[in-house]
Amino acid sequence: MKARTVRLWSVVHTWTSLISTVFLLLLCLTGLPLVFHHEIDELLGYAPQPEAHASAARATTQQVADAALAADPGRVLQYISWDKDEPGIVTAFTNSAVDGLPDNTSVRAFDAVSAKLLGPVGIGPMLIVLKLHTDMFAGQAGKLFLGAMGLLFAVAIVSGVLLYWPFTRRLRFAAIRDRASRRVVWLDWHNLIGVVTVAWALVVGLTGVVNTWAELMLNQWKATELASMVAPYAGKPPPSRLASLDDVVARAKTAAPSMEVAFIAFPGTPFTSSHHFAAFMRGDTALTSRLLKPVLLDGETGEIADSRALPVYLQALLISQPLHFGDYGGMPLKLIWAALDMLTIVVIGSGLYLWLARRRKRAPARTDAFAKRASVPS
Amino acid sequence: MHGSRGRSRLWIRVFAAPMLFACATITGLLAALLWGAIGQYVAWVTVGAPVVFIAWVWVRRRTQKPEQFGQTLHGK
Repeated sequence: MKARTVRLWSVVHTWTSLISTVFLLLLCLTGLPLVFHHEIDELLGYAPQPEAHASAARATTQQVADAALAADPGRVLQYISWDKDEPGIVTAFTNSAVDGLPDNTSVRAFDAVSAKLLGPVGIGPMLIVLKLHTDMFAGQAGKLFLGAMGLLFAVAIVSGVLLYWPFTRRLRFAAIRDRASRRVVWLDWHNLIGVVTVAWALVVGLTGVVNTWAELMLNQWKATELASMVAPYAGKPPPSRLASLDDVVARAKTAAPSMEVAFIAFPGTPFTSSHHFAAFMRGDTALTSRLLKPVLLDGETGEIADSRALPVYLQALLISQPLHFGDYGGMPLKLIWAALDMLTIVVIGSGLYLWLARRRKRAPARTDAFAKRASVPS
Repeated sequence: MHGSRGRSRLWIRVFAAPMLFACATITGLLAALLWGAIGQYVAWVTVGAPVVFIAWVWVRRRTQKPEQFGQTLHGK
């Protein structure tokens, strides 16, 4: 690599890192507790617990829906969801309108057997951490901004890998030059930690970027695929009376026999049309449980309208979520995720230190050169 | 010709270990997603490898004298 090329990549690495440093530190620091948000919510008492039941007969979906509406009078249901890791709980989302603002949504957990209200979901200190991590309380603009910071992070990683060669080619792998200055020791740690965690950092960074585009992708799906699925129902008004949810669930299962319902979106919500229920079905393997398949059902009759696999970009979004959260490999993977997150904080922090140390080193040199020039008699 | 072969050998020496860690990490991340419970065990080992390695370097550096812990390719 020529000296000029190294200088160029060095400038790219320095500035992409510097611009994104504060936000990456925020993402890493808030991401750390989010890895354990289930455990923290449980510890702080914000995670509703299902009741113990002798019988296994589950409440019907309609019973849960009725309980949800009774728990939040005057509001409407948006979604009902079933978490595969929490089989004893059914979650209901209510809002002032079916297309109400996400911040106005109330999420409540109900017992899957008795349909009894267990308590609110997604409140407490972890909600603040989550908002800081996803959009810094700035809505869609904040999400897209953090996505842009994620892209800068990816450029910083790639340029860092390219610079690894000129900086370490004369060193053994993992050499830490203890006898050198503190700046050199931190340069060695920065290079070593950065290069061994490069794949994880790129995957988590880029999947985070993809997650910030979720709403844009959903809008694209609604404008194209969903629009073509509901085209035969064009001009039909929103349902005056909703079909029984038990019928909706039963019919959705016949459209996707080997799958179970992950969540139902009510007519008019962002995940479906104004006239249809959408049942999002999931498989039972680690991969297929992430790849949802929508089944559209008539809002009044509950009859199946259409069912198609999601487009590649939405499947990529669904696959990117576990790869970003690290919640798909049990507690050991969560601990490893947290350790890698902390190592990334060290890389970002040491990079900032190296930049400051180099500036400090250059400043006296510049002063000396200026003093020498000034002392030359004219 | 000779120079370029030496250069590529040096390139491999510099990037072989990082590439190994990168391949292990990617394998683990996908294994947990595709291979169920066995995939989880694979992920713990392979995604955790960089963490264990960094911890090993740190411990080794603290327990050995600076001269003993590799510096340059030529021992300078």
